[in-house]
Amino acid sequence: MTQAGTSVITDEMRAAVGVEGPPTVLEVEKTNCRMFARAVGHADPIFYDEEAAKARGYRSIVAPPGFMGTPIYNPNRPAGVPGEMGGRGFSIPYKRVLNGGTDYEYFPENGAICAGDTITARTKITGFEETTGSLGPMLITRRETTYTNQDGKVVAKMYGTVIQY
Amino acid sequence: MGQVYIEDVQVGQEIPSLKKNCSTQQLVIWAAGSGDFYQIHYDKDFAQATGLKGLIVHGALKNAFLGQLLHDWISPAGELRRFGCSYRGMDEPNQDILCRGVVTRVFQEGGKHLVELDVWTENPQGKRTSPGTAVVALPSRNGG
Amino acid sequence: MADTFEITDEMRAQIGIEGAPWTYEVTTTSVRMYARGIGSDDPIHYDVEFAQSQGFRSIVAPLGYIGTPIYLPGKNDPTFGFPRREGGPRLNIPFKGLLDGGTETEYFDYICAGDVLEERSHLADLRMREAGRPMLFVTNESVYRNVSTGQVVVRQRLTSIHM
Repeated sequence: MTQAGTSVITDEMRAAVGVEGPPTVLEVEKTNCRMFARAVGHADPIFYDEEAAKARGYRSIVAPPGFMGTPIYNPNRPAGVPGEMGGRGFSIPYKRVLNGGTDYEYFPENGAICAGDTITARTKITGFEETTGSLGPMLITRRETTYTNQDGKVVAKMYGTVIQY
Repeated sequence: MGQVYIEDVQVGQEIPSLKKNCSTQQLVIWAAGSGDFYQIHYDKDFAQATGLKGLIVHGALKNAFLGQLLHDWISPAGELRRFGCSYRGMDEPNQDILCRGVVTRVFQEGGKHLVELDVWTENPQGKRTSPGTAVVALPSRNGG
Repeated sequence: MADTFEITDEMRAQIGIEGAPWTYEVTTTSVRMYARGIGSDDPIHYDVEFAQSQGFRSIVAPLGYIGTPIYLPGKNDPTFGFPRREGGPRLNIPFKGLLDGGTETEYFDYICAGDVLEERSHLADLRMREAGRPMLFVTNESVYRNVSTGQVVVRQRLTSIHM
């Protein structure tokens, strides 16, 4: 709600709920798995050493928790990147944005995410919510991203919340 | 640390904590690892121009710390099924970030032994800066 | 910082010593990251189909990128990433300051995403320079060989300045 108590949710926004956006391709490789693991400070060798990963039954180096691969970067074809703050696209009167949080859900029965995988990510808005809190009137947008591997299996989902106020 | 089994777990139990302390260098490595090059995490002048006191730690990095907390607890035979957090408070580089978790539920679903936890990052003043939840699957000593 | 410094016999004895080889990997993500880092928009570094249409195996590593060394915690320098390999030259350098003194690279073939290279390195030269303050120039020579073909693809001389 704005100060006057009017909703900022438009028909356009309502129509977008549940609609999946265009796919983004992410690559999981040995170099980026190790970089992510190194950045977090992981000690488990399955995130760095291919032999160690294979000895534990994995196809290759394992993507650390929270890592879904690197989007294919091409400066000549800029594309929207699914991410915690990605793809808002609507004209909202609130100027400030906060990342409200992120949850990852894994489906290990469909396979672990490993180096060599190509992941396709598709994001949809799952809902809008308006509320008033200590920061004033707020719009909360919830998104869900589905990550599918090269075999068509859903290996993970990400649930993201963005707060505009 | 040896494998933890479902029989070892009780509601209310705290799992081994993980202490982090990010140098500004680590924040640069995280920028490269995550692809998030937002300057508030490595360019102090930029951060201050946006109204921040100084550099802050990426929320997504704290989320990944919670991933490590859980991974280290359940490895090698456990499964991480769900984890995440909200970014309520900011954390700074060169300051301790303590990752903690407490078991809130032990249950069976879909033929798996599941444990639900509250997980969070805590600053030196004891404030829970990134509170969240997680669900893991653990093996049974009876081979389940 | 020392006022004067002389290279010792012990240090000179390290010249020519080659440590264990290390594996360097060239991936599509790392090629693109390096190209992005230098600000290139040449599709040869980003678009696999385009690179293959030009006759390359995959996207081409920009000049200067010779793959990323396999990173294993405790085995690689956490700041610079170079491998601390077994049997390599050991120099006790008393200077705290470090600058890049330059790189000379000789290419014998293109490097593309998908390549795996084996790198062997030895200490090639030690030299003192007096330019207002003592500066120790340390030069390493590396040879990179494509693991699949066995061919040498790059020879490189790297100099670091300690002062």
